[in-house]
Formats: sequence, structure tokens, C-alpha cells
Amino acid sequence: MPTRALFLILALWAWLVTGAAHAEALTIHSALSINSNEAHFPTQGTPAPVRLPDDWAASRPDHDGSVWYRASFVRPAGLAPDDLLALYIERACSNLEVHLNGRRIFSGGRMAEPTARNCHRPQLVNLPAVLLDQPLNVLDIQVHGSALRHVSARARAGGLSVLRIGPASEMKALYEQREFWSIRTVQIIGITLIALGGFLLILSWINRSEIFLMYFGWLLIGWTVLSLRVWWPQWPWETHTFEIVVCSAFPPVVAMAVQFLLSYAGVRSRPVAIALLLQCMLVPISLAAVGADHLFTSASAWFMLMAAELIAAIAVYLWLAWKNHRDDFWPMGITLGCMGLLVMNEIAMQYGWLPRLAVQPLNFAFPLLLLGIGSRLLQVFGRALQAAEVNRTLLEKRVQEATAEIERNFAQLSALRVEQVTEKERKRIAADLHDDLGAKLLTIVHTSESERISTLAREALEEMRLSVRGLTGKPVRLADALADWRAETVSRLGQANIEADWRNPVDELEQQLTARVFVQTTRILREAVSNIIKHSGASHCKVRTSVDAQHFGLLVQDNGKGIAMELDGKLDRGHGMSSMKHRAKQLLGQCLIESGPGYGTVIRLTIPL
Amino acid sequence: MNNILLLEDLPEIRAWMKALVLQVFPKSHIHEAARIHDALELTTAIKFDLALVDLGLPDGSGVTVVAELRENQPEAQSVVVTIHDDDDHLFPALQAGAFGYLLKEQSRELIAEQLKRMSGGEPPLSPSIARRVISHFAAQSRSKPPQQAHAMPHVSLTDRENEVLLRVAKGYTLPEIGVQLSLSRHTIADYVKQIYRKLNVSSRAEAALEAQRLGLFRS
Repeated sequence: MPTRALFLILALWAWLVTGAAHAEALTIHSALSINSNEAHFPTQGTPAPVRLPDDWAASRPDHDGSVWYRASFVRPAGLAPDDLLALYIERACSNLEVHLNGRRIFSGGRMAEPTARNCHRPQLVNLPAVLLDQPLNVLDIQVHGSALRHVSARARAGGLSVLRIGPASEMKALYEQREFWSIRTVQIIGITLIALGGFLLILSWINRSEIFLMYFGWLLIGWTVLSLRVWWPQWPWETHTFEIVVCSAFPPVVAMAVQFLLSYAGVRSRPVAIALLLQCMLVPISLAAVGADHLFTSASAWFMLMAAELIAAIAVYLWLAWKNHRDDFWPMGITLGCMGLLVMNEIAMQYGWLPRLAVQPLNFAFPLLLLGIGSRLLQVFGRALQAAEVNRTLLEKRVQEATAEIERNFAQLSALRVEQVTEKERKRIAADLHDDLGAKLLTIVHTSESERISTLAREALEEMRLSVRGLTGKPVRLADALADWRAETVSRLGQANIEADWRNPVDELEQQLTARVFVQTTRILREAVSNIIKHSGASHCKVRTSVDAQHFGLLVQDNGKGIAMELDGKLDRGHGMSSMKHRAKQLLGQCLIESGPGYGTVIRLTIPL
Repeated sequence: MNNILLLEDLPEIRAWMKALVLQVFPKSHIHEAARIHDALELTTAIKFDLALVDLGLPDGSGVTVVAELRENQPEAQSVVVTIHDDDDHLFPALQAGAFGYLLKEQSRELIAEQLKRMSGGEPPLSPSIARRVISHFAAQSRSKPPQQAHAMPHVSLTDRENEVLLRVAKGYTLPEIGVQLSLSRHTIADYVKQIYRKLNVSSRAEAALEAQRLGLFRS
């Protein structure tokens, strides 16, 4: 962006320099001149011929006050008789009055101190047709100005540029073009700077940590105030005071610029701040002290010093930006580089090393560059704002996620806690049952005289334990259940001297049994094994287990004497066949019993998984 | 079997147990206790060969007595006699150093048979207890951080012991495993005893470490 601005400025500058050739215009390069404060071209004294532009610093270095110029011209040929003529004067410093053929036709303002200050303003004087009645028209111009040593800037030293006479429309165009660049642009940019500066000040006030915004805001406003010297003609002070006031306005602006650059680079230096403040006070004091005759020399020295300060600050900023790899090094570098060049150019003109330009680039290019930096600051601020917004949104999301997570965890924790409390309570009940009911049943088991009661109590105890485990039990892996059943069954049969042949599937079984299914199946199996041991008289027992997707099956076969079928269901003789079937039915499975005298017994149990 | 400790709080059951033990070991002296406190007092005075310890007692869990005997009378065989048949009760007792367990409601004959076998050096081992032992050692070898490895006595099962445990966990009885591995009953029994011993040692080491860790946290 600053690169583009630079190109724009260069293009405008080129147009400004080249757009000045006019065929019909008459350019007056020489005149008679005489130093005089009279109201008309003096009749006494000998006017000396002088070449225009007449720079007083060269032609009359000690003169303050008024100089009369006289030039004669013939109405340019090739113009229609009714074409209006105008006189265009690029520069008459500080002010001028124009007489045509002895009649005053134009005044730029007050000619006595405090004089009107029009050094930077081009002048357009319409030459009334009625007065152009002579073959040779006489143009008397009175210029009021100051000696170079009595002003602080070369641009405000007395002098008169070449005079151009031509068609009014053409001269007006020329005038307007020059006036636009010298005055209007400065005004427009001034308004913009004031607005931007105010805006930045408000931003810095809201956002105290970014103090460079404040410095820059004051820099913009200060510059605008400074630029008043260019276009505001009516100052209520005589030249000496005016010049000191103008000079005194520079140090605060330079101070703001230096502080802005340093703080933007992240440097805060108290000595620098104090020095800048001292400078603000020293400049007016020193200029007042040296007296009117040395004003230009002292002011030039101060300007040189301030330019050096500014360039040093630019260098410090750019060095730090380079070192910290700041991504705005190049745009800022180019902009600040241009600023440095402008300042050096200005200093060179001040010292007379470079010819003075009609339009001072400092006056319109410098604020443009300031505008560029201001826009850049706003852009950075805007981006930071956007980033902050994005961060805020992210943060909000994270907070929401974290909240959700906490709530979820809390819910899980509560569920877990309920589970734990429930489990604890279950265990307590189970322990109570064991201690109380279990102990009583146990006593009955081991103290009862009757074998039948003892057996009943043992079974009741077993029931109780299985019930308690059914309450507290977790799901059991089918593989573990089969292993438990096998171990118990083989051990029991072995103690009864019955040969056991139990084979489990070799596959890894991942199915789970609910505690209820495990408990009930255990009972069924125990009952079946008890039957074999007590009643079958078998010498061999074969058990096979099978598992498919929906069911698991147990096949228990013995080679005993079998059960008479007609007895089954009617008397049961304690064989528990009906309870086995009932339990299988409760589990939505089935228990089939095949038996016959002499054939042994086959029990097929099928339970859904 | 000379001195036998009988720790049981229910008088009827204690009497019944005493009769049963006298039937198995007719020449033994049976020292009865109804509370842990009494039992611990007895252990300071008498050297026991066998201790029958109930778990649920009025003043705590019999595991305390098992651990005490393991610590001070390593020759004494502790056998847990309980109404609880679940791993949550049995496994801690085995970890504390119990040599076996009996379920109280079993018939007199069965208990007598098991007592005889245990005194003959054949500890019982059910599939569910075997699974607990396997997962205990697996968890220990997983959780052991390298810097603590040296602090902890190196307790791990041999391949043969693992083999026996795995087969028990699958539901094979010890005699069956003996046949499968072509080993004698005694050798298998020795493996099981060794497994119990290692379970106790590793459990104690674990407990010591845990205590140390808690102590560190507290300080």
C-alpha cells in the first residue's frame, strides 16, 4: 500500500512539473525594481533592472519591507480583442499589490506589519480590459517581504517569481492547479489528518496499553496545526514573533513523531522523553535570545537537529523491526524511508543546497505518508480486534466444551457414586445374611440329628448364598462358568468314584452369562450330578457342552440304571427332575430327560444366551 | 499335628469343628478362640501346626490372624474356614498366606477329606481362584514401574506354574493336570504350594510398596 501511494505521489509530481507550457502566455523575466515603502512606484530614485525571479536573499539580502517592481508588456498577439487577460504570479512573498497603468487593481492583503502571509500561495490577478488601453502597458507590483535572516525558513524569505500574462482562462487553470497543490491539498489532508488523529486518540484512550496510537494521533493533529502556516494568511503577529511561533510548533510535533516510532518499536526511554521536552522549551527561548538577525541561522540549526532526531528514530525503529522480523518491516520501511528523504530534501532546500521548488513536497507528500501509516495502524488495530473476536469465540467454545465435559463427568460421577453406594449396600445385606441367617442355617446343618433336616438346611444355605450372589453378581464369562462347573463336577464325581469325562469347546468363548443364568444353571447341574451320585449307580459320566450364536447346551449322560419313566413326575423320589425343568423354563430354555431302566440317563439342557 | 488353633465365634459350630478335627487328628491339642484378640494372644504363646480360621468375626476379619501367623510362624498352616465362597473373601485370605479354604456347610466327610489332603500337602485351588491369581501376577508385571523393580522382590511364576494355573482356570482338576503333564500328584501339589507362596510374597511386597507410597504422599 505505501508503495502504491509512493507511485501515486511520483505521478502527480511529474504531472505538476510538466504541466506548465502555454503557448499564448507571455512570460516576463525582467523588471525594474526599487526598494520603497511608498504607495506608488516611486518617482524619485533610480530603479535598477532585475531578473525575475528575484530572490531577495541574493539581490537585496538586508532588505525588509517593500520593493516596487515595474514591467511593461504588450498585449500578446494572436489573442482576440475581447479575450480577457490575467496575470499569474507563482510566488510573491510575503504579500503583494498590483497596479496596472497607474491604477491599483489587486491586493493580497495587509501590506504593513503584521502583513498578510501569502508566501506559499500563487496569485491570480485579472487585468481589467478597460485599463489595457495603452500599446505598452505598465505593470507596477509592490512586494512586501522579509530578509532571509529574519525568517526561519527559506520559503518565507522575500521574493518575486516570473510574471505570466495570458488569457484569463488559461492563467486561471494554471493558478488553480498550483493553488490546489500548494494550498487545497494541504487543507484537505489537514482535515483528514485531524479526523484520523482524533480517531486514533479515542482508540488510544480506550486502549491505554497501545500508547503509540496516542503519539501518532497527536502527531497527526500537530502536523495539521503546523500546516496552518502554509495556507492561513492572517496572523496577528509581526514577522519576528510569527517566525518564532512557527519554529516553536515544530519540536512538539517532532517529539510526537520520535516517541511514536520508539513506542511502536517497543522502546520506552525516559531520557529521550525528557530531552524532547527540553527541546520544546529551548527552541523558542533560544530563538528569542539570539535576536532577529540570527533567526535563520539558529532556526536552520534547530531544523537540522530535529531532522537528525527524526531520522535516528526511523533508523532505530527499522533496525528493531528488522531484528524482530516484524512483518510490516517493508511497508513501514518504504514509507519511513520516503519520509526521511522528504525531510532531508527540505533541509537541503533550507540550506540552499537544492533549488527551492514552487510546491514544497514536504507540505503535501509528508502528510500523505502520515496518512498511510495511520491507515496501517488502523488496519493493524482492526486485525487485532478481529483476532481478539476470533479468540473470544474460540474461548467461548472451549468454555462450553469444558462445561459440557464437567457436566458429563459430574453425571458419570454421580452415576458411579450411586452404583458404588448400591454395591456397598448390597454387600452389606449379603454380609448380614451370611452372618445371621447363614450362621443359623449352618448350625442346623451341623447339629441336627436328622440327616434330612441337615440336608434341607444345607440346601437352604446354598440357596441363600446363590440368591445373594444373584443380587451382587456381575455377568460371568461363559468360558469361566464352564471351567467352574467342570472343576466342581469332576471333583464331586471323582470323590464318588465315578469316572468323569467332560469336554468343553476349545474355542475362546467371549459370551457372557448373566448372574441369574449362571446361578440357575449351576443349580440344575448340581442337581443332575447329585442324582447321578446318589441314585444312578453309574460308573461313568460324560458331559458335553456346546455353544452357538443364541444358545449354549449341556449334555449329561451316565451309564447308570436310569430312571423309571413312570415314576418321573409323579413321585420324583427326590430326583429333582421337575425342579430342573422348572428352572430351565424360567431361563426360557428347556431341560429334556431321556431315561429308561438299564439305559442310563441323558439330560439335555439348552439355555438361551 | 500337635497344636491346632480353632478360631470360630459360633459356639455350636466351634464344637462341631472341634469334634471333626479330633476325628481327623486324634492326638492333637486344640486351642479354641472366639475372637481375633484371643487368637492373637494364643499365637504369642503357642507354636501352631495348623490354624482353622473363620473370616467374619465380631472384632474383624480372620485375615489378620492368617497374616500374623504367616509372619511369625511360617510353619503353621492356615486354613480358612468360612461360609463365604466368593473370591472377594477368599482371595485376600490366600494373599495373606492362607494355605487353603474350607466351606463350612460342606458335609463332615468332605471337610475331613479335604483336611487330610491339605495336611498331606495338597492345597485346594478352584478355577476362579486360579483366574484371580493369574490376573494378580499379570497386573503386577504390567504396573511395575522400572525404578521400583529393584525395590520389589522379583516374584514371577515359572512357565510350569503358569501352565498349571492356566489348566486349573480352565476347569481341570489337579489329578487331571498331573496326567496331562505327566507329573506326579506330589509335583503338581508342590507347584500349587509354590504358587500360593509366591502370591503371598508378591502381595506383601505390593502392600509394602503401597504403604510406602501412601507414606510418601502423607509427608
